Amino acid sequence: MRFFGKDADSQKVGMLKSIPIFSQLSSKEILELDELLHERVYEKDEIVFEEGDIGHGIYIVVSGKLKVNLSHESLKTLILEIGPGDLLGELTLFEEAPRTATVAAIERTVMVALFQAEFSSLLSKNKSIGVKVLSEIARILIRRARQLALHEQHLPSL
Amino acid sequence: MRTLPQPGAGTLLVVILSTCLLLFIFQKMIWLVLPVLLALMFYYCFRPVKEALVVYGVRHSAAAKLVWLLLQLILAAGVLAVALLVQANAATWPNHLARYLAGGQDLLRKSAESLERVIPLFKKIHFGTQVDHLIQQFTGQQFTGQFVEKNLLPMTLQSLELLPSLLLVPYITFFMLQDSARLKKYIIRSVPNAFFEKALLLFSRLDDSLQNYFQGLLALTLLDAGCLSLGLAVLGIANAIGLGLVSAVLAWIPYFGSVVGCVMVVLVAAADFPDQAWKAYACLILFLGVRLLDDFVFLPMTIGRKLHVHPLLSVFMLFLGATVAGATGLVLALPLFGLVAVVGETISQIVNDRRLRARFKASRQLAPSVRRV
Repeated sequence: MRFFGKDADSQKVGMLKSIPIFSQLSSKEILELDELLHERVYEKDEIVFEEGDIGHGIYIVVSGKLKVNLSHESLKTLILEIGPGDLLGELTLFEEAPRTATVAAIERTVMVALFQAEFSSLLSKNKSIGVKVLSEIARILIRRARQLALHEQHLPSL
Repeated sequence: MRTLPQPGAGTLLVVILSTCLLLFIFQKMIWLVLPVLLALMFYYCFRPVKEALVVYGVRHSAAAKLVWLLLQLILAAGVLAVALLVQANAATWPNHLARYLAGGQDLLRKSAESLERVIPLFKKIHFGTQVDHLIQQFTGQQFTGQFVEKNLLPMTLQSLELLPSLLLVPYITFFMLQDSARLKKYIIRSVPNAFFEKALLLFSRLDDSLQNYFQGLLALTLLDAGCLSLGLAVLGIANAIGLGLVSAVLAWIPYFGSVVGCVMVVLVAAADFPDQAWKAYACLILFLGVRLLDDFVFLPMTIGRKLHVHPLLSVFMLFLGATVAGATGLVLALPLFGLVAVVGETISQIVNDRRLRARFKASRQLAPSVRRV
């Protein structure tokens, strides 16, 4: 059974390489990772996941826009919009933790999902991919932590 | 964190009934179930080799082809070895069979006599004469003829009918090695977004259960074969490795298979050493020992640890499986129950999760014409 021809392969590699967390991967590694990626399309206003749901993987936005709603008191005012190349639920790659926000599509959005159990098994088999992807995720997490720290500085003191 | 609804007694009942229904269907189409089962076993045992090749830089499809080729070579070597063995010994087998049966009868008579000597009660009830009478009854021409006509012949014909379907095994194994990931993605694509993560989780659990079962079964067979072969070799039984391996494979049929394996080895020991009855008894003790090791050490270490089936439920399912689907039911009852339980648990969580169902309903109203990727 062959669902993708060679042209489709090279197109896919190009698309996936444009996503920041996969940018360091070679074409061969991208194709290996592609075996584990699941493409999903969400319509406008469709909920991707809700706060409290147990997360089993991450989503990477390929096209479209999503709105992130946080219920935490100090973060309620924060309106987060994410778009192509952004990650959702990156912490669930490390443990099956509950989702910390509710995410819904603002417009028709295409995402690729990476399931935690499959990614863990890939990490144990191919450490090269693991190191490259995880270091990119670490960079994104650091950036987010900095943004959050900056946001908290501007909040009125309690 | 939201607590997930836990499956209750109703789910368990549905799981048991579904398992019985599947066993009934599988028994009716055993010609297809057998090759799929063998292909699954080969797939799960050889998948780590394919994955190792991929890590070393071989492409998925090339790795699948290489592993498949290796499997074909192993199977071909096995078939060739069996064919040569059959060709070399086929002429003498009827004589061997008669000798082993005679050895077994002799052992039974001697054992009955010994019991009469040691325990007076046995002498009082003429145990030896009764055993002798039973042997004559079971080995009489009328009984043997009926047994061959009613049981042995249909069983042999049924087994021979299954042989052509075994040609499917390499074919199915190859496509599992090459396309299982794509097939999984293809199936997942048709799952609505609301249930997408649950579906992935279900696939992952099923994959884990199957892998654990088949790899566990192989490990268990090797451990059994090793222990039995070693024990038989120490006792000086001829063809110890072959007998150990055949007995270990027969043990795939719970209880019944172990008994058949044990009887086979005891008959060989009784026929080869007619003046050393203790060797036949030692074989019996060896089998009991390995059975105990299986139940309390090997099985929990290999299959049981991963299937998470309560021992009482296991026995219940085995009896139910045997009642519904005979020998097929005995072999398939536990692994199938394990798989159906995983599916039942996940479906029960989805059905009882109002939020998921509401999300699914809402998403259907958004753009029904373009729901799928």
